[in-house]
Amino acid sequence: MEFIGISIDVFLITSTLALAAFGLAIIYGLIGVINMGHGAMLTLGAYLTWYFMSLNIPFFLCIIFSGIGVALVGIALEHFIIRKFYDRPFDTLLLTWAFFLITTEVIKIIFGTDFKNIEAPIAGAFEVFGVNIPAYRFLVCLFTIFLITISNIIFLKTDLGIKIRALIQNKEVAGLMGLDINLTYKAVFCFGSFMAGIAGGLIAPMLSIDPYMGNIYLVRSFFVVIVGGVGHLLSGTVIGSFLIGGTETLFAIFSDQVVSQASVFLLAIVLLRLRPNGIMNKKDV
Amino acid sequence: MKKNKKNKSIVNKKISRRDVIKSIGYLAIGALASPALIRSAHAANPIKVGVISPLSGAWTVYGKAHIAGFELAVDEINAKGGVLGRKMELVIGDSKTEPRIVVEQANRLIRNEKVDFLAGTFSSAERNAAGPVVKALDKVLLYPTFYEGQEKEYHPGVCNKNIFMFGPEPTQQVWPHMEYMMNKFGKKFFMIGSDYAWPRVTNMVTKRKLKELGGSVVGEVYIPFGTPQYESVLRDIRKAKPDIIFHSLTGSDTVNFRQQFAAAGMKEDFALWTVDDEEVVTTGLGPKVSGNDYVSFDYFMSIKHPNNAKFLKNFRKKFGQDALMNTVGVAMYNAAHMAALAIEKAGKLDTASLRENLKGISFNDAPQGPVTMRKDDNQIIVPSYLMQVNPSWTNVGNMFNEVQSFQKVVPLAARCSLPL
Repeated sequence: MEFIGISIDVFLITSTLALAAFGLAIIYGLIGVINMGHGAMLTLGAYLTWYFMSLNIPFFLCIIFSGIGVALVGIALEHFIIRKFYDRPFDTLLLTWAFFLITTEVIKIIFGTDFKNIEAPIAGAFEVFGVNIPAYRFLVCLFTIFLITISNIIFLKTDLGIKIRALIQNKEVAGLMGLDINLTYKAVFCFGSFMAGIAGGLIAPMLSIDPYMGNIYLVRSFFVVIVGGVGHLLSGTVIGSFLIGGTETLFAIFSDQVVSQASVFLLAIVLLRLRPNGIMNKKDV
Repeated sequence: MKKNKKNKSIVNKKISRRDVIKSIGYLAIGALASPALIRSAHAANPIKVGVISPLSGAWTVYGKAHIAGFELAVDEINAKGGVLGRKMELVIGDSKTEPRIVVEQANRLIRNEKVDFLAGTFSSAERNAAGPVVKALDKVLLYPTFYEGQEKEYHPGVCNKNIFMFGPEPTQQVWPHMEYMMNKFGKKFFMIGSDYAWPRVTNMVTKRKLKELGGSVVGEVYIPFGTPQYESVLRDIRKAKPDIIFHSLTGSDTVNFRQQFAAAGMKEDFALWTVDDEEVVTTGLGPKVSGNDYVSFDYFMSIKHPNNAKFLKNFRKKFGQDALMNTVGVAMYNAAHMAALAIEKAGKLDTASLRENLKGISFNDAPQGPVTMRKDDNQIIVPSYLMQVNPSWTNVGNMFNEVQSFQKVVPLAARCSLPL
């Protein structure tokens, strides 16, 4: 009985982590931009969702609008700044951190510093084996699976996916073969920001909405992407989330929160020592 | 050659008529100007107060009410002509919610800005960081926030003769209501708090009274800052089957936890009593998540006291109809007024006389009713209210329903070597 409860918890945590990390998996995983502004993108998605909700737009439309909003911001960021730094990843670290600082202050100016609140569009919980699972939470997890599957299909089975993979594998040759490098980079960055915006909006009803909320997932997202393997969009993100989320949950059973959260760091160090390319240990996608 | 030496060795300057006229001129101007010089220097010499507030970082949400209370008081004081004829002036330092930045700001305000005294810091961690600084540089700190009480081992963050506590401690905020809560719900407490000084020591002090009343602690969890998921904690709570969840989480963690607690349908099974979530947090939670939970503080916007009506009117005039105020902002307001009263009483401004005159001072216009600063241990004596959140609140006006209140709760003596 308790095992089922724990498995359900692990499932919920894993999917939420995967959702939050997915935008970073695309931006950092695919095109190597160390996006320290990922938390800010989540926060922005949440605030945009709150804003659209206050205009009485139905929730799922709000999510899409926020995704588009953050994607636009992402495109602007990419076009004016990131574009020149694809071969200098450590500089992108500083630039995206600046983006985080600026975005947070702009959010504070526009929306104020108070806690904002979004009610979950689907209230109530249903009981499974003695555990109450919030209905909204469960739906978000299903949606995450759907999202990752769709992205994987796009990535592996479509033209755009082939172009992106070509870009990652060998930028120069792909360019020589006629690929529009700049446009492909933009498309990927835009898609990653879109995902981060959607994630922020979906997570917003489960968390407090304050100007720093997204940063709760910043370090965790990096762990998920690095442990899962940079570049492995589906398998890496899911397995990374499972390892990170699962470890935290498992250790929390036997000890306190500090130990369980610290054990995640320990796990990441050990795994990276043994598998420098991530848990899947393959170099290509 | 002899001639040259003679010329060089003696400097023979004659005073010319031009020099005499010049010096008389300067003296005259000086004499005419001096009253103006002295007067303007005196009048332009404001009392500078260094206010350290979390304006950015994790607890940005609390910074607004924190500073607003002090600003309102300073406006009122200056409108009446200031203190000893001098206006009060704020110099603000942003603590960024980081204790080490508090140290920087405290040093900057005292050494560079030459403030006369400090007010603020928000969390106990910030106050404990400022403690050594105000002790070494001998400046008074007016600390507003509800806190964990003074235990000797945390000196000089507490038990510091320069730090005056304007917020309640657990023997005022928690102890008076424990019997009521235990009689109503049961004796098993599950304690959940953030992982730092305030929740830990508050729980320690609460446990003393709990034991006295025959209660027990079935779980005690401390959550590191920035924890998004609470599945394991919720599971622990379900397993432990407490009667009351005693809640001292803070920052965004409290909203995350209470949201997930409510979403998991656990509100029906357990009573929640929070000593952290005031108007700002409760507004962020919404009525569904916060409804029917219990909160205890020395001040709420909704308490019915003529002082409060007047205070809120002035507050809203300055900050807008929707502005939020809470126990911490009101404590800053009281602190500013009481410091002004103390300086007037002393007739001069320096740390020692401010310290001596703050002790024992009363302020009758405090929004929650008359309050007094106790002499021996720098602890303020305030009322204590237990409120229940209205499950269908729509604004701060109808957010809390009073369950019980005590107009004046005398706290336990501070656990320091007294008098301070």
